[in-house]
Amino acid sequence: MPSRLDGPLKVSGRAEYGADHNFPGMAYGYVVLSTIANGEIEAMDVTAAKSAPGVIGVYTPFDPLELRTPSLPMFGETWVPLQNRDVAYYGQPIGFVVAETFEQARDAAMLVDVTYRERPALTSLEDGLASAEEAPPGFDGSPQTHTLLASGVDSIEDALADSPVVVEATYSTATQNHAAMEPHSAVAVWDSGVLTIYSGNQGSDLQAMEVAGALALDPSAVHAVNPFVGGAFGGKGRTSTPAFLAAAAARALDRPIKAALSREQVFTATAGRAATVQKIALGADTDGRLIAVRHDSWCSTAMDRSFVEPTSHGTSREWYATPNLALSQKMVPLNIPPTTFMRAPGEAPGSFALESAIDELAVALNMDPIELRMRNNSTAPPGRDLQWSSKHLDECFSVGAARFGWASRSPHGRTDGDWLVGVGTATAMFPALRFPASVEVTLQADDTAVVATSGADPGTGLLTVLSLVGAESLDITPDRITPRLGDSALPPGGMSGGSTATASAGTAIMIAASKVIDDLLVVATSPGSPFQGMETSYADGHVLAGGRTMTFGEVLRAVGRPSISAIGSSAPGEEMTKHSFSSFGAQFCEVRVHKWTREARVSRMLGVFDAGRIINDKAARSQIMGGMIWGVSAALHEGLEIEPNGRMANADFAGYLLPVNADIPEVDVHFVQHPDTLHNAVGARGVGEIGTVGMAAAVANAIYNATGVRVRHIPIVIEDLLDD
Amino acid sequence: MRPFELTAPETVEAALASPGTFLAGGTTLVDLMKLNVLTPQHVLDINELPLRGLDTSDGLRIGALERMSEVAGQPGVYPVIARALLQSASQQLRNMASIGGNLLQRTRCTYFRDVEMPCNRRQPGSGCSAISGANRMHAVLGTSDSCVATHASDLAVALVALDAEIRLVSAEGSRTVKLAEFYRLPGDTPEVENDLRPGELVTEVLVPRLDWASRSTYVKVRDRQSYEFALCSAAVALHIEDSRIVDARVAVGGVATVPWRLHAVEAALRGAPATPEAVEAAASVGADGARPLADNGFKVSLLKRTVVRALLELTEESR
Ligand SMILES: Cc1cc2nc3c(=O)[nH]c(=O)nc-3n(C[C@H](O)[C@H](O)[C@H](O)COP(=O)(O)OP(=O)(O)OC[C@H]3O[C@@H](n4cnc5c(N)ncnc54)[C@H](O)[C@@H]3O)c2cc1C
Ligand code: SF4
Repeated sequence: MPSRLDGPLKVSGRAEYGADHNFPGMAYGYVVLSTIANGEIEAMDVTAAKSAPGVIGVYTPFDPLELRTPSLPMFGETWVPLQNRDVAYYGQPIGFVVAETFEQARDAAMLVDVTYRERPALTSLEDGLASAEEAPPGFDGSPQTHTLLASGVDSIEDALADSPVVVEATYSTATQNHAAMEPHSAVAVWDSGVLTIYSGNQGSDLQAMEVAGALALDPSAVHAVNPFVGGAFGGKGRTSTPAFLAAAAARALDRPIKAALSREQVFTATAGRAATVQKIALGADTDGRLIAVRHDSWCSTAMDRSFVEPTSHGTSREWYATPNLALSQKMVPLNIPPTTFMRAPGEAPGSFALESAIDELAVALNMDPIELRMRNNSTAPPGRDLQWSSKHLDECFSVGAARFGWASRSPHGRTDGDWLVGVGTATAMFPALRFPASVEVTLQADDTAVVATSGADPGTGLLTVLSLVGAESLDITPDRITPRLGDSALPPGGMSGGSTATASAGTAIMIAASKVIDDLLVVATSPGSPFQGMETSYADGHVLAGGRTMTFGEVLRAVGRPSISAIGSSAPGEEMTKHSFSSFGAQFCEVRVHKWTREARVSRMLGVFDAGRIINDKAARSQIMGGMIWGVSAALHEGLEIEPNGRMANADFAGYLLPVNADIPEVDVHFVQHPDTLHNAVGARGVGEIGTVGMAAAVANAIYNATGVRVRHIPIVIEDLLDD
Repeated sequence: MRPFELTAPETVEAALASPGTFLAGGTTLVDLMKLNVLTPQHVLDINELPLRGLDTSDGLRIGALERMSEVAGQPGVYPVIARALLQSASQQLRNMASIGGNLLQRTRCTYFRDVEMPCNRRQPGSGCSAISGANRMHAVLGTSDSCVATHASDLAVALVALDAEIRLVSAEGSRTVKLAEFYRLPGDTPEVENDLRPGELVTEVLVPRLDWASRSTYVKVRDRQSYEFALCSAAVALHIEDSRIVDARVAVGGVATVPWRLHAVEAALRGAPATPEAVEAAASVGADGARPLADNGFKVSLLKRTVVRALLELTEESR
C-alpha cells in the first residue's frame, strides 16, 4: 500500500478534481470583477458581451441570478454575488458571463462596460488604526479584552512598571492569500430536480447545505462531490463564488455549467489572511521569569467585518506562565477582499510577534532564548485550572537543540566567507481541537470493509488515515479497507479544518468499528447462525468461539448477508472540562545574509513536535514540512501589497512571491511521540497547522543573530537589512 | 485574448513579406496576449526560419532563434553571458525562450500588464501609474516623468557590457546596430522601446572577441534564490595583470530603463590595483545621477554593493 493512497492517482494526473468533470452540453462561466474599491455600480453595459460569439447569458446586479444569503452555525452568513450594486473592494465579483467555450466567456467578459459612482476607499491598515473597532467575541464566545492580574496588582501597567526588565515593541505582518494550487472552481449539473456540484472544498456536507440555502432548495436536493481538493488551507471552507454562480446558472439555463477563477482572480474574489499590527510588552525578573505580558492586536477586516484574525488570543493567552496578562483585539474595517481562516489563523502572525518579543527579552537578559522559554514553561494556560493533558515542549527543545547543534550558537552569529550566519528558534503551539464527525464502517461478505465519511482530504492525508485507523480498529490489514470521502451523501464528516480531521474522524471510526463488530457478533450468534448461542469474540478479522474461527466475510456469507454497517459519531465532549489541549513544537533555523547584497537565505531548518500519536508518519512529516516552508515564505517572501485605490499590486504568481526549491534547504522534522488518550481514543492531536507557527519568528530571530538587525515586520526584504 | 490569424512562414523573405507580429518562444508574446496587453491580428510563427547557429570561434555569433538554455549550456560562451542566462526565468522557460525574443521582451511593470490601469508605455498619454504607485521594482536610472519601468532582460545587460551588436533585416535590406544604441530611453515616448522598425526581424547577435572576458561574471540580487527578476544585477569582466586592473566592463540591470553600462566605474577601475578598497572606490560612482522613487531608494545603495560583490568575485578568483 502506498503511504498516501491518493498519491499514484495524483502524480499520474488521474485524480479528478472538481473542474475536471465534463458533461454533454456543458457551458462555461467567467466571473467579472470590480475595478474600484468602494462605491456603487451605476450601470453595466452588456450589449457587446451579449452579442459576442457563443454567449448564452450575462448576469449582473441589474439582471442577477437569484441567490439568497446562506447561513450555517459553523460559518455564519456567507456572501453571495450579484444581489446588489454595492462595491466594497477592488476585484469583487460583479458579473458572470456564460458561453459555449471558456475562451468565449472570458473574451465576452472583457467587453462588459461598467460605470461606477465611486466613493473614497480606506485600504491601508496603518491609516485605519485610528478608526479601529472593538472585535466581536472570539469563536468560543470569549471577550476580546482579557486581563489577568495577580492579587494586589492594580493594572498591567503597574505590573510592567514593577518588572526589572521590560521589552516593548510593535510588530506587523502582511496580508496573505492561500493561493491554493487548485483555483476556486465548480461544475454544476441538474438532473431530475437534484443539483450535483463538483467543487473542491473543506467539507462536502457543509457545501451542500450552503448551496441549498443559497438556492432555496431542500438540502436533500443538493449533492456535493469533492473526492480530491487541490489545497484549501482554510480558504475553501465557505462555498466559493464560482460554485454559487455555476449552480444558479445551471438552473437558469438548464445546462451543466463549469466556472473557475483565474489565478489572478483568486487573489481578490476569494478571502485571504488579514494583515496585523501587534504591540507587545513583556516584563520579567532578572532570572527571566515573566511578570507581565501585554499583547494588543489590530487586524484588517473587510467592510462586512466577517472575520477577525485573533493574534493575541491565539498566542499570549496560553503560551507562557505569567501572573499578569492583558490582551486586546481590535479590527480595522477596510475596502479590501474578505478575510478568513488561513492555516493557523491567529497563531501564525501572532507567533511572529510573541516569539520575536521573547527573543528580544532573551537579548535584554543576555540569556539563551531556549533557557528563557523553559523558565516560563506553563503547566496550564495562565489563570486556568485545567492542566495541559500531555505537554512535552521541554523535550522538543532539548531534542531539537541536540539535533540542531544549538550548543555551538554564538550570541552574535558567525561568518562563513561573505555570508553572515545566524540561528534562531521559536516555540510553536496550536490548540488540539475536535469537530463533530460521523463515519460509517461497513463489513462486506468478501472480507473487505468500507470506511466512509463526507469529510474532505484537501491534501492532508485523511483518505489514508481512514484506511489506517479503520484497519487498526477492525484488526485487519489496510489493503482490505476501501476508504471513501468527499461526498455529501456519506455520513457528515464536518469540516477539514482546525487540524481536527484525524482526531475527529479517527475517534468516530473507532466507535463505528466497535459497534459494527458488536453487531457482527450478534449476527454470528443468532438462531440459525454458525455460532448460535455461543460466547464469541473478535480478533484479526475473525469471529472466534469454541476453538472455531470464521472470517467476518464467512460469517456474513453463512447468514446470507452482503454486508453489515454501523455509524460512529464523535464530538468534543467531557474531556474539555478536565484538561487543556494543545500540540507543541520547537522551531529552529539557520539563516545566511550576504555581507554585501544582504539577501537572507535559510540554510537549515528543524522542527520538533509533540502532537500526540502520529498515525501516518510520512504524511504527518509532509504536513509539517509544508507548514514550516510556509513560515519561511511568510518571513521572507509572501505579502500582498494593497494600493491606495484597493488594487493589489502583486496579485499573480510573478509578484506574490513564494519560495522556490532553491530557497528551501533540507527540512528536518522530528516527532516526540506521546499518545494523548486524554484528548481522544486514538491519541492523535492535529499536525495540519502547527508546522507554520513560530517559523517566521525563528527566521527573524536568526537574522538578528546573524546581523544584529531586528526587523519587526514580515516579509523581511533586502532593504530592511541594508545598513546605509 | 482576442482571436488572431496565425501563419508560419518558412523563409525569411516570406516572413518579411507579410505584416504581422513575430512569435518565437512566445513566453512574452502569448503571456501579454492573454492579458489583452498585446492584441495582434496576425501572428507569424518564425520558428521554422533558419535563424539558428552558435559560433564561438571568433567572439560569439548567436542565431536569434537559439534557445536561452542552448546558449547557456554551450562551452566557449563567455561566463557573464552563460551566468546571466542561467539566472533568468526557469529551465522550462529557457527551453522555450529565444535569444531574439529575450532582447525584445517587454517590461514587467505591473501597470503595463494590467489594461485597467493608466500606462504611457502601453497607451501613450494615459499617464504613468508607477511614479506614484507601487514602484519598488522600478528604475532609478534613465527614467523620465513619463515612465520609470526597468528593462527586464538579464542577457541584454551582459551583452551591453561586452559591446554586442545585433543584425536586423527587413524588406529594405539588413543593418547591424550596437545593442547599447538599439534601446531607447523612455523620455516623452516610452512606447518606443527600441530602434526596431516595423516588420524588421532580428536575425543574429554578434559579440566581438574579448579574450579576457573569460574572467567575467553576472551577479543577480533578487527576492528569492531563483525564478525572479533582478532588484539589481551586475555584469562585469576584468582584465587583471600582475594584480592591476588593465581593463574592465561593467553594466547593471534591474535599476535602469535600459541595460545600463557604467563607463565611469570602468574608467575608475582601469589602472587601479585589484584590491577591495580600489574596487569599492570605483563602484561608489556607479549610481551617480540616480533618481529614486518612494519605494526604491534602496537600489542606489544596492547597485554599488552588487557591483562590488561582482568585482570582488573576479579579483578573488585572480588570486
Ligand atoms: C515567469 C517568467 C519569468 C521570467 N524571468 C526572466 C528573467 O529572470 N530574466 C530574463 O531576462 N527574462 C525573464 N523572462 C522573460 C523571458 O526571458 C522572455 O519572455 C523570453 O526570453 C522571450 O523570448 P521568446 O522567444 O519567448 O519571445 P516571444 O514571446 O516569442 O517574443 C517576444 C517579443 O519579441 C518579438 N520577437 C521575437 N523574436 C523576434 C525576432 N527574431 N525578431 C523580431 N522580433 C522578435 C516578438 O514579436 C515579441 O514582441 C521571464 C519570463 C517569464 C514568463
Ligand atoms: S513605469 Fe512605464 S510601464 Fe510602468 S506604468 Fe509607468 S509608463 Fe507604464
